[in-house]
Amino acid sequence: MMLLRLITWPYVRKHLLRSALTTTGIMLGVAVFVGMHTANRSVLRALHRTVDRIAGATQLQITAGETGFDEDVLERVQGLAEVRVAVPVVEAVVNTGLPSQGNLLVLAVDMTGDRSLRQYDLESGEEAIIDDPLVFLAQPDSLIVTREFAARNGLAIGSRIPMRTMVGERLFTVRGIMRSGGLTAAFGGNLAVMDVYAAQFVFGRGRKFDRIDLALKDGITLDEGRRAIEKLLGPGFQVEPPSSRGQQFESVLRVYAISMNLTSLFALFIGMFIIFNSFAIAVTQRRPEIGILRALGATRRQIRALFLAESAIGGAFGSLVGLALGSLLARGIALYIGGLFEGVYGLAERPDEVTVEPGVLLFALAMGIATSVVGGFVPARNAARVDPVRALQKGKYQVLSAGENLVRRGAAAIAALAAVVFVLVGRGTAAFYAGYLLAIFAGLLLTPTAALLVAQALRPVLKWLRPVEGTLAADSLIQAPRRTSATVAALMLSLALVVGLGGLAGASYDSIVGWVTSALNPDLFVAASPNLTSRGFRFPASVADGLRQIDGVAEVQPVRSARVNFRGSPVLLVSLGIDGWIRRAWRPAVEGDTDTMYREAASGRGFMISDNLAGLYDLHPGSVIELGTPAGMLRLPVVGTVTDWSDQSGTIFLDRSVFIRYWNDDSANVLRIYLEKGARVPRVREEIQRKFAGTYRLFVLTNAEVKRYITGLTDQWLGLAYSQIFVAVLVAILGIVNTLTVSIIDRRRELGVLQAVGALRKQLRHTVWMEALSIGAVGLTLGLILGALNLYFVLEMSHRDITGTLLSYQYPTRMALLLLPIILASAFVSALWPAESAVRASLVQALEYE
Amino acid sequence: MIDLIRVSKQFDGKRKVTALDEVSFHVERGEMVAIVGPSGSGKSTLLNLIGGLDRPTAGEVHVDGKRLGGLSDDQMTMVRRDTIGFVFQFFNLLPSLTCLENVALPLHLRGWARRKADLRARELLELVQLGPRLEHLPEELSGGERQRVAIARALAIYPPILLADEPTGNLDTHTGAEILSLIRDLHERLGATVLIVTHDLTVAGSCPRTIALCDGRIVEDTRR
Repeated sequence: MMLLRLITWPYVRKHLLRSALTTTGIMLGVAVFVGMHTANRSVLRALHRTVDRIAGATQLQITAGETGFDEDVLERVQGLAEVRVAVPVVEAVVNTGLPSQGNLLVLAVDMTGDRSLRQYDLESGEEAIIDDPLVFLAQPDSLIVTREFAARNGLAIGSRIPMRTMVGERLFTVRGIMRSGGLTAAFGGNLAVMDVYAAQFVFGRGRKFDRIDLALKDGITLDEGRRAIEKLLGPGFQVEPPSSRGQQFESVLRVYAISMNLTSLFALFIGMFIIFNSFAIAVTQRRPEIGILRALGATRRQIRALFLAESAIGGAFGSLVGLALGSLLARGIALYIGGLFEGVYGLAERPDEVTVEPGVLLFALAMGIATSVVGGFVPARNAARVDPVRALQKGKYQVLSAGENLVRRGAAAIAALAAVVFVLVGRGTAAFYAGYLLAIFAGLLLTPTAALLVAQALRPVLKWLRPVEGTLAADSLIQAPRRTSATVAALMLSLALVVGLGGLAGASYDSIVGWVTSALNPDLFVAASPNLTSRGFRFPASVADGLRQIDGVAEVQPVRSARVNFRGSPVLLVSLGIDGWIRRAWRPAVEGDTDTMYREAASGRGFMISDNLAGLYDLHPGSVIELGTPAGMLRLPVVGTVTDWSDQSGTIFLDRSVFIRYWNDDSANVLRIYLEKGARVPRVREEIQRKFAGTYRLFVLTNAEVKRYITGLTDQWLGLAYSQIFVAVLVAILGIVNTLTVSIIDRRRELGVLQAVGALRKQLRHTVWMEALSIGAVGLTLGLILGALNLYFVLEMSHRDITGTLLSYQYPTRMALLLLPIILASAFVSALWPAESAVRASLVQALEYE
Repeated sequence: MIDLIRVSKQFDGKRKVTALDEVSFHVERGEMVAIVGPSGSGKSTLLNLIGGLDRPTAGEVHVDGKRLGGLSDDQMTMVRRDTIGFVFQFFNLLPSLTCLENVALPLHLRGWARRKADLRARELLELVQLGPRLEHLPEELSGGERQRVAIARALAIYPPILLADEPTGNLDTHTGAEILSLIRDLHERLGATVLIVTHDLTVAGSCPRTIALCDGRIVEDTRR
């Protein structure tokens, strides 16, 4: 403790800003971690609460994915001895015509039995509407809304609300207003209740229900009830407690959570390196101090413990600031995540409160401190090894001994060889990641040697630019590798990570654009929702027939997509006429023979799957996929794999005829329209809208509009990769400022002599600037090279563990070119203050500095 | 007290440099010895070996009955901590610490309680006539005053051995004489064994014994 007070605190106080900036990486990593996890948990908690509230006293729910099932299933379930009450439900998210109200979740129920499961606590309205279910049936336009929704829109009993349904815009009448609490808290009050049979009509369900909610008789356990129902219905149905619906939400969050975790880890790793760099510099700077302490009787252990304690305290400081920042960020991230659910559920779930859990805080604090201590470990060890005799002699410590170099290069060679063996020969995830880490480790070990080589290559260039200043700048790097190699390594590593992420983003973007161009090539899309991803509404088959009659329409391809259960997780099932796909949107198989794939799939003898599904579940042509359907188990082999970006969880493609046969459902979410040659898109679009206006809820999108929407989403992803550049710049600035500060101290006499023999102040500045630019150039060169290797690993990691998609290797040249001026400019900015301190130093003191 | 037996020290670099070549001598407890020689004769190297800051390439160094060669780094540090006080040519005070804190530093390294360490530091600074400057930083002191602080620090644990490497080398003649007088005074009072490395013959002349080095060898060992 005394040493901390006497030795550490004066140093920290003197370099307060630098000390604070050193912990920035830790702070960022902890903040992102806390913010993301807090937001994640808060949103999921809110969603689970919503699910529970809507479920009421429901013990089990029966679904068949998103496809729904025929009405007769209800009777069969109600006939089971174990079941006390079973009620049908249709859920739909609709857009009201009310300004700024967004979407409304409509819970359509059969009032006959539903009150056994849910409490409708009306504060006002026609009691008859609850007491006598026939009133609901007799007035199919009846709606019960929440107090919150009514208050926001100035609604009273008898008010009329327009809703955009499957059959066009319809007016509904408020006949009940629920008290606050319970059901009404779901989705911030954007919930309404209506009759299930009316909902079937207006939401295009035909004679199907979305699910059955049920309660069991007393004495029957959940397991017993579930077994009885599964035995009755067969494999095409899921029978689960309401809480398991949270799984669906969590799978949506999965990729987002992985991405945020990676960002957090990235920031922490860079933070660790900034700590390492700063402490390495500090050890160099405080060498004389360490020498004095050792001469006075401080043991190696005391010195090591001192520096480790400093790194721990720095980590604690950064972590505490990160905790506070993360808690503030959590609310913003929660709003963003809640908004993501609009894509899945159509409604944004925004948690009322964002509670930071003590467990998350403690873990983040421990993680930040541990990262900082790891970063400070090697410098602390080096500080303990400072030779007191040499430490009290200026400048002698900068040269790496030949022995040290040999050991490093030997270790690098071994690590590189081991990496190659693990990657090429090793099997499994552990071998891959071991190879990855070893490759990076080898790169780090080689940094001093590589930096020296690049600096030596730069020397003639710098000398040509400025004979004196350039030579001095280059020699400073060449003769003092200890001073610069930590900074160069930190910069190299962060740039390698940027290149890796940039390459991944770029490859993803190109793949997506390629997919959009080849797969999404109809001239028009007719959808039941404003974007192609929402599946709540469906068109009856007759709509496709109606579209075919429009002048200029050459072909209409109905597409029905729905999430189904595959190996316990939801995946997207897309059914369409494979023949039409072959004719219009042919794509080569990524795996499997293309002709065989299409032939077998078109004749209903196999599934085509997306490459990400294949990657995530290790599926290949010949693998058998089993899907539970209302008509029994559907078992077909995979006949081929195609590149597809429809869904991050993976996609199964099936010929429409098979879907209709097994799901008894000929409806469609989207209708792909190809026009005849010469037909004009705006005219046909107008014709469609005119023909179906008022009859169906229908959105007509052009090919350009769809592509714009998808590329817009993709640009957001790219934005994330480019944001990592900010971290790289921070690393550059911090590292170079540190290095130059030490350089100027070490070269004080040299700079003094320069002034004494006639160097102007601007010439002194130039030498410092050039040294900074050289460090930046060396780090940039090595970072771009290591980035090429890192990109391979990042693409492989993405394929194995994140998206499942195998992307092509494309070095992000544009990003690399962008990094060039950014990093060099950062290096220059970093040099401004050190250069000023160099020119302002006392000449006399500099010459006496020995 | 101090025994060197055929001690050699070589430095490996671009060329091998022999700083000391089979040096042997004995110093009794309480002696005050000057070690003289031209620049590069091995004086400072000799002091570093005796002080446990470095290890000989060959030969043995015994300090206060302990053979330094067989000790681990921590054990050497303990010997240095408990037995030896160092005075350097360039003072080597920590610039961010006050005089009091600089003098108390070796005591804190030994785990002394703060109050006890401060009390001892005050006593020592009074001893070297710097009582009024306790809270001053080194940059606020003259060269002579800084060297006094360094001497006070070296005496913090009342070491049996005091090693001074060119203690007056960075001072003017008058101040140097004052410092030398202080060292002699403390030697008489505390009875410590004192070795002073110097190139100044006046300083050497004030010590009862002088060992002269040249090219790493003892060329003369004179007692007055």
